[in-house]
Amino acid sequence: MTSRRTFLKSLLVASTLPALSWADAGSPAYLAAARRPDGAFWLYGLSETGSEIFSLPLPTRGHAAAAHPRRPEAVAFARRPGTFAIVLDCVSGQVKRRLDAPEGRHYYGHGCFSSDGRLLFTPENLYAEGAGRIGVWDASNGYARLGDFDSGGIGPHDIQRLPGSEVKVIANGGIRTHPDTGRIKLNIDTMQPNLTYVDEDGSILETVELAPELHQNSIRHLAIHDDGLVAFAMQWEGDPTRNPPLLGLHRRGAAPRLLEAGMEQPRMRGYAGSVAFSGDGRFAGITSPRGSMVHFFRVADGGLAEALAQADVCGLAAHALGFVTTDGTGGCRVIVPGGKVTDEGRAEVAWDNHLVRLNV
Amino acid sequence: MMCRKTAAALCLALWPLAAAAAGGDDLDLVAKAVDVQILPGYETLAAASAELDAAAAEDCDPEGETLRDAYNSAFDAWIGVSHLRFGPSETDNRAFALAFWPDDRGASRKTLAGLIREEDPVVNDAESFGNVSIAARGFFALEMMLYDGSLSEGDPGYSCRLVRAITRDIATTAAAIEADWDPAYAELILHPGPENPIYLSDLEALQELYKALMTGLEFTADSRLGRPLGTFEKPRPKRAEAWRSGRSLRDVQISIAATSALAEILASDVPEETRAPLDVAVERAGRLAGRLDDPIFTGVETPTGRLRIEVLQQAVNDVRDASQAVIGPALGVSQGFNSLDGD
Repeated sequence: MTSRRTFLKSLLVASTLPALSWADAGSPAYLAAARRPDGAFWLYGLSETGSEIFSLPLPTRGHAAAAHPRRPEAVAFARRPGTFAIVLDCVSGQVKRRLDAPEGRHYYGHGCFSSDGRLLFTPENLYAEGAGRIGVWDASNGYARLGDFDSGGIGPHDIQRLPGSEVKVIANGGIRTHPDTGRIKLNIDTMQPNLTYVDEDGSILETVELAPELHQNSIRHLAIHDDGLVAFAMQWEGDPTRNPPLLGLHRRGAAPRLLEAGMEQPRMRGYAGSVAFSGDGRFAGITSPRGSMVHFFRVADGGLAEALAQADVCGLAAHALGFVTTDGTGGCRVIVPGGKVTDEGRAEVAWDNHLVRLNV
Repeated sequence: MMCRKTAAALCLALWPLAAAAAGGDDLDLVAKAVDVQILPGYETLAAASAELDAAAAEDCDPEGETLRDAYNSAFDAWIGVSHLRFGPSETDNRAFALAFWPDDRGASRKTLAGLIREEDPVVNDAESFGNVSIAARGFFALEMMLYDGSLSEGDPGYSCRLVRAITRDIATTAAAIEADWDPAYAELILHPGPENPIYLSDLEALQELYKALMTGLEFTADSRLGRPLGTFEKPRPKRAEAWRSGRSLRDVQISIAATSALAEILASDVPEETRAPLDVAVERAGRLAGRLDDPIFTGVETPTGRLRIEVLQQAVNDVRDASQAVIGPALGVSQGFNSLDGD
């Protein structure tokens, strides 16, 4: 219980302590989870060229992280169907808060903040009903749970905020799962993924679906360029011999564009793990750990710019020169599409699924 | 830190092999695996599952010898291919529909009890039964019906229909996997190339088999043995696979034999000297599993019994390490951290 005295004291502390920023955490450019050789999982803050700035232990295998836009705080999500996320102080290394999913729900491994960092949004599965929900937490008040809203589909996986607004775009993967049956997919025949845009109050502004013959192309991950263009990466659950496109681009109010790689398409093995725009927004890329391939497409005409092999690649993020990739063998590359590929050395860790760019 | 010198020496030592493999012998290895293990394995599974279905149709008494024998033969056949988790076994969740385990939340019991309580007519129609929760289908659901007395309290007539629905569904699923493999999927994996929609190169076909081998060994070590081991303070014998029907050790023995056979196929072009560590590990794991006298791993609760199971688990991990050291570099394949996970 808070007494008047401790309350006043906490006010005093809050007003006199200078607020810490990401600079106090060494100004990392990226966050990434990894497995160390001893089997332990850690969250890393990385420089522009993938070198370690800080590392913090995680209780279990991570998936992605969300970086607070101002405070040096990262929310690390356990991989699906994880039921907890932890808020890490990236300066002190302390766990500031543990966010348990409400009863009957689990996370999907992603989340995002409002522009001022006051609210955290977490895609969740309300699994008894199979309903996709977006949980809302008050990051300005010890991450108290505020409530939730409809994600606009089943299996909301990734969520990102459009630049310069509070509108969020949600990748509803369309796949129903239940913790009783682990990651078994319960509705592959009828799945219907979509992209849903929601306003700050959770009102659905726009829903984008693909053509009916692509209803088994699960929309899973998102990247957003500064101009509001959304890139979405997909995972194909249908006939494995079909090899449909795995990358789409969408701008609000317009029809989605799907980007195909022609003869190179089968090398992705129907699976895109991460998606990103290049720093200048001229290219969009996707990675396939199953095919150990990275594809870069020109945003302007949708054509394949380059297909590069990289063993067990999955992490992908924007870089001033183009892109950065990370892989499960510890590799990290800076890639200029159609240009130079620089190996940034090999860390003694296995980089996990996602590389998260800090926009601070 | 991994010693760079060792890695370099390994690369040098194995380079001629990798070069030889790239010369075109890879497909022979794939063909051998398909001909010796995969096609016969799924054929056996389909046949044994059909016999199981016939036995249940004949007499559904859960304690009947014919039905239980048929259950065990079909389960044996499943364990023999349970590491081949790609292609036809993954279509429509078929492998899960045959073997839903581990089941920490007791979903099988819950779902079966629900069907029995409500005398759900879904058991009367084979096609509808194919859509019930995976937890109520396959070998583990059947095991519960045959060996768990607590589920036999409902109407025996209904339980009988439920047993028959499960065996019919197992037979249908096993037949579907076999039909997809022979010949269509076998053709795909045997003829990689730029026009092949799944395997673009020999390496990708080999990689698939290698991944199956590694995950199969991992599953046996971590789940089939690791789950009942639990911790020293808290052993979990009831977490053993198929303990109700007394099959836990048997499953481990069959899976070790099957994965070892696949390892030996993939290593068959490696000169004897180089592959010696693999041969030694395979022989040891088989020997230790063969002489362990603990059918459902109750020994995890005693210091001596526990040690024996831990030693066996280590031996399975050694087969995995040896496969990685011998087969990985020789074929130029590796097991991915991200490619295995996926989300």
